[in-house]
Amino acid sequence: MATLSLAGCNRHQSALAPFGVEASSTRDLTIILLIGAVVIAVAMSLLIRHAIRTPGERLTHRQGMKLVLWAGGVVPTILLFTLLVTSLPAMRPLPTSRADLTINVEGEQFWWRVAYRPPNAARVVSANEVRVPVGRTVALKLMGGDVIHSFWIPGLAGKMDMIPGRTNTLVVRATKPGRFRGVCTEFCGLSHALMAFDVVAMEPAAFDRWLAAEAKPAAGGNALFAQYGCGGCHAIRGTGEAGAIGPDLTHFGARQTLAAGVLPMTTANVASFIRHPEKTKPGVRMPAFDHMPPADAVALARYLQGLK
Amino acid sequence: MSDQNDLTLRAEQEERLRAVWKPPEGLFLRWTDVNNNRVGVWYTLTAFGFMLFAGVLALIMRTQLAVPENDLVSANTFNQLFTLHGSMMMFLFAVPMFEAVSIILLPQLLGARDLPFPRLSAFGYWSFLLGGVFVGGSIFFNAAPDGGWFMYPPLTTRTDLSGLGADIWMLGLSFIEVSSVAAAVELIVGVLKCRPPGMRLNLMPLYAWYILVVAVMILFAFPPLIAGDLLFEMERLLGWPFFDAAKGGDPLLWQHLFWIFGHPEVYIVFLPSIALFAMLIPTFAQRHLLGYPWIVLAAVGTAFLSFGLWVHHMFATGLPKISLAFFSAASEAVAIPTGIQVFAFIATLWAGRVIWSTPLLYAVGSIAIFTIGGLTGVMVAIAPFDWQAHDTYFVVAHLHYVLIGGTLLPLFGGLYYYWPLITGKKLSDRIGRIAFWVMFAGANLAFFPMHLSGLEGMPRRVFTYPAELGIGGLNMASTVGAYLFATGVLMVCIDLALSPTRPKGVRNPWNAGTLEWLAKPEDENWGIRSVPLIESRYPIWDQKDFVAKVDEGRFFLPDAEEMKRETIVTTVLDARPLQVVRLGTPSFIPMATAVALGSVFILTTYHLYWWSLAGAFVTLGCVLTWLWTGTAIIPEKPEKSIGHGIVVPLYISGPSASGWWAMFITMLADATAFSGLVFGYYFYWTVHPDFPPPDATGPGVFWPMVAMGTQLASWAATVVAREVHARGQVLAARSLLIVGIVLTLASLLAGLAGPWFTGLNPSEHVYPAIVWVLAIWTAAHAGVGVICQGYTLARSIAGRMTPRYDADLRNITVFMHFLALTAVVTYATIGLFPGASS
Amino acid sequence: MKRLRDRIAGLRVTLWTLIVPPSMWAAHFLFSYLWAALNCAKVGEFATFPTLFAIGTAVALVVIVAAGWVAHVQANRKGDTPPHDSGTEIDRLRFLATATVLLAALSFIGVVFTAMPVIFLTDCR
Repeated sequence: MATLSLAGCNRHQSALAPFGVEASSTRDLTIILLIGAVVIAVAMSLLIRHAIRTPGERLTHRQGMKLVLWAGGVVPTILLFTLLVTSLPAMRPLPTSRADLTINVEGEQFWWRVAYRPPNAARVVSANEVRVPVGRTVALKLMGGDVIHSFWIPGLAGKMDMIPGRTNTLVVRATKPGRFRGVCTEFCGLSHALMAFDVVAMEPAAFDRWLAAEAKPAAGGNALFAQYGCGGCHAIRGTGEAGAIGPDLTHFGARQTLAAGVLPMTTANVASFIRHPEKTKPGVRMPAFDHMPPADAVALARYLQGLK
Repeated sequence: MSDQNDLTLRAEQEERLRAVWKPPEGLFLRWTDVNNNRVGVWYTLTAFGFMLFAGVLALIMRTQLAVPENDLVSANTFNQLFTLHGSMMMFLFAVPMFEAVSIILLPQLLGARDLPFPRLSAFGYWSFLLGGVFVGGSIFFNAAPDGGWFMYPPLTTRTDLSGLGADIWMLGLSFIEVSSVAAAVELIVGVLKCRPPGMRLNLMPLYAWYILVVAVMILFAFPPLIAGDLLFEMERLLGWPFFDAAKGGDPLLWQHLFWIFGHPEVYIVFLPSIALFAMLIPTFAQRHLLGYPWIVLAAVGTAFLSFGLWVHHMFATGLPKISLAFFSAASEAVAIPTGIQVFAFIATLWAGRVIWSTPLLYAVGSIAIFTIGGLTGVMVAIAPFDWQAHDTYFVVAHLHYVLIGGTLLPLFGGLYYYWPLITGKKLSDRIGRIAFWVMFAGANLAFFPMHLSGLEGMPRRVFTYPAELGIGGLNMASTVGAYLFATGVLMVCIDLALSPTRPKGVRNPWNAGTLEWLAKPEDENWGIRSVPLIESRYPIWDQKDFVAKVDEGRFFLPDAEEMKRETIVTTVLDARPLQVVRLGTPSFIPMATAVALGSVFILTTYHLYWWSLAGAFVTLGCVLTWLWTGTAIIPEKPEKSIGHGIVVPLYISGPSASGWWAMFITMLADATAFSGLVFGYYFYWTVHPDFPPPDATGPGVFWPMVAMGTQLASWAATVVAREVHARGQVLAARSLLIVGIVLTLASLLAGLAGPWFTGLNPSEHVYPAIVWVLAIWTAAHAGVGVICQGYTLARSIAGRMTPRYDADLRNITVFMHFLALTAVVTYATIGLFPGASS
Repeated sequence: MKRLRDRIAGLRVTLWTLIVPPSMWAAHFLFSYLWAALNCAKVGEFATFPTLFAIGTAVALVVIVAAGWVAHVQANRKGDTPPHDSGTEIDRLRFLATATVLLAALSFIGVVFTAMPVIFLTDCR
């Protein structure tokens, strides 16, 4: 176990560094399976070596058939049966109740549409970042927008596909706070490799405060945003900009990364992404604004970064 | 047969055999050859070439991934690379390679002069070459498929998100799937009907058992994919929304159809390698293989279980956990027969006096690598673990361990073992061993770190990964390993290239006991001098003076008095001689048919529908010419002696004939494809509460019932025609066939009339689309039925079919059985199923 | 009993009888899959005690055991001991029967494996 932990060089996108109930139990299962696999592989190698080195006629036909029956048939059957019946209960999803927070996540080429649906409050729309309260059960409702994507936060739980026309439910519970990373694991087109998102596990009180803040509208509008027609695709609540094609930008500046977990959130990155999104993300749906003067792009970026 | 002591007679016999089996020579004519020795070698070399090509694609990918955030190739190129790497390795290397090797080996293993349908082998080869070049070459035009080898819709069906590549994949590989099924038919009939006298089922070489099992698996695994391809192209080209959720379709249907093919596929490429072990391990242990029935159990058991695994590729799709668990259970169970096979080999080595050799090194080394892949396979069969590992580099590691240990290295082992059989020369033991260790080290260095990079969060099919994940070191190791592995492959290639400079070796250099080693270094094209009587699993070891008796023509069929290519057909269980069958001779027709059929697929890719329709007519013409001139030929005499006082007929028809079996097996594959479509209908019904939509009008009850009734009447007419014809009433049979043609035509039209008159619009919703597809499938088969009945009528009128020689009529009756079944299922489904006609 | 055994020993053994046990596994597997899929898609749940599933499983196991027993009787007809590798009618028969017994054992295990999920997973999530 120690060697495995050492091998885990990254702490924020690893199935070996869990921060959720399901990922923890799967990590333990992984270690048991790996140990078993190593033991069997070594035993098999030694046995083959022995079989080759033994001179002829040492094993009669009858003994040989006993070997096949027991080592090849009976023992594997018992091992596999044990494995099966111990793993079946682990397939049961965590129990949920009506009081649990639901988060809708919809995969789009190549970003994530996120909507928080707390049990007793209005829904809150966001994008490219998923925040979960530690210790509370959260039901993630996963949908495919355009093509099939797959939602994977290695440290939290196993993955679940997002398929157009279907809604899949993944129930998770985080066990410790921190910043982590999730990623798309179903090949979804040109920039499949560039479709990640930030995951933040927060103490419940902090989470409630954050969600309340996230529900509020933005501070104010921006002339450049309107002039370049950004609102055709993007929404900024409270400004009248209500496009639903691209990510919601209401609290854009509060996110850690830009372009679905790909770039650090700096003014230069935002400005250059606005002018040449395809340079960062091949196949992106957002059109290039290369006719936009760099100064305008910087001003727009500053505005967006100010949306905390 | 005392006259075989006459040396002059023997020389004359050999002269005749040599003349009859003389391969066509000349720049162009040599390509008309159909003999398994030559076609098999072409096939093998082509598949090997595709493997090297796909391997180079992998090296480019590994170079791109050597360091994080690399920009050696673009995302677009990378996606084409991994799609083509996977697709080519599976469709153009692993499966065809097994078929190619079997085409070379099987006749030799079975003491046959050739496979039962040599021209079918040649057709399969030319289809494979054409389709393979079409698919593989697309990358040079930046038009290669880029949706992954699994081609999940809607990414690949939406024409705004995917281009020509998707069509090239679907149509090009469908074409190759057809050739794979053709080869499977050939191999099944070969194993069941062309064994030497005395080779009962319990004496069959294990390789033949595996080939039988694998070919049957192909028969049931490939057709669902062909059905899926059909739906897929209907959506891409015509907009029929089978996988479009907005119009009632479902992307998951494709995943089901793909993996019903895709998981058996894994065992289709793995079992032949086990079959090679089962041949070479007894040779190097110098004893019979232990546990023959256990191996047969394992092969048959694996074949069945492998059809209950497909959903383990879909563990993350959100199906109910109970459904996933069934597949998890079967995925665990399939490890049991695999373990039995491995332990049978270990026990054999243990019990025998092992002679250490290069082929054995490959066999043992690949078992070691395969064991690791098998163990990780058991891990990913556990659903909770798979939810983490699925679609990450862990699975990349798993599958490469399985395929390198279970397909590639065993093939190299087989190459070192069988090269002397094919060329009469041994390869270099020294180079072989060094290459093995280089490949062994390379494979482990390349793929072992991937287990970790996967668990550390690296998804599959990414053209780049961020440095912050900290998996740069693991990836660099994988890249170095990949190049090391490629070096090993290169060394094998050099060894092969040096082979022509080496002298011929001795016959049976490994002192093996099975039939194929009768081949002499200076090979004759006739396959085997005389077809032996088999009394043991290892006749060369166990039967007295066996080799000499074969060589001196003391067994069966030592001559070709009538100057025809011949081999013996025997019974399925006990291999009693039934017939001497005349085999196909060199001809342009298989190649022409392959080109014509290929043009249908390729022209459709470019939306040249009228041209492809023309291609379809040319294909039909080729097939009819082939059948008319080359099959069911009435022999010049009813029977002939094969020696030792045994006289057998030259023509048989019905269930004991090889042609009848070929028809029956082909129709099994056809029915399986059809069941894929029917599965689609009931899948939609199960999963979607609004299928059929409440306001939809179905094709009604009337027309489907008319179509069903007329089809059943046509079937009855054909069956009665067969019976009265056998009693000599030729005119009555002809009349009944004419009635049958009219009825089949009526059924065809009535079947289409249902959806036509109710105005079902297939691009509106998935319900009318699937109804139309079922109706069209059945109508197209009725069309073939009309051609069959018409062909048989024409054969009768032309005097090529008589009550004594009636194979044509008996074979088309098999088709009519299946057509009737198809019609009943289709019309009951679209006409009678609840909700269909509301 | 003796007469029954003699009757059974005289039954034909072919490639078709060889695949009876695994075909039964396949039928049971398909049945399980359809049973779960239809219950979950059309009803939304399945009964606490799945009677239909239990009956289906019992039938499959009985058929497999019966096929295995028949093959076992056939495999033990008088004659020489394994390996059944002579070119005789009886050895071919005994080989096929032995392989059938083994396949019946594997199919039995397969059906038991397939039935396990229903014990541990009791809803449609």
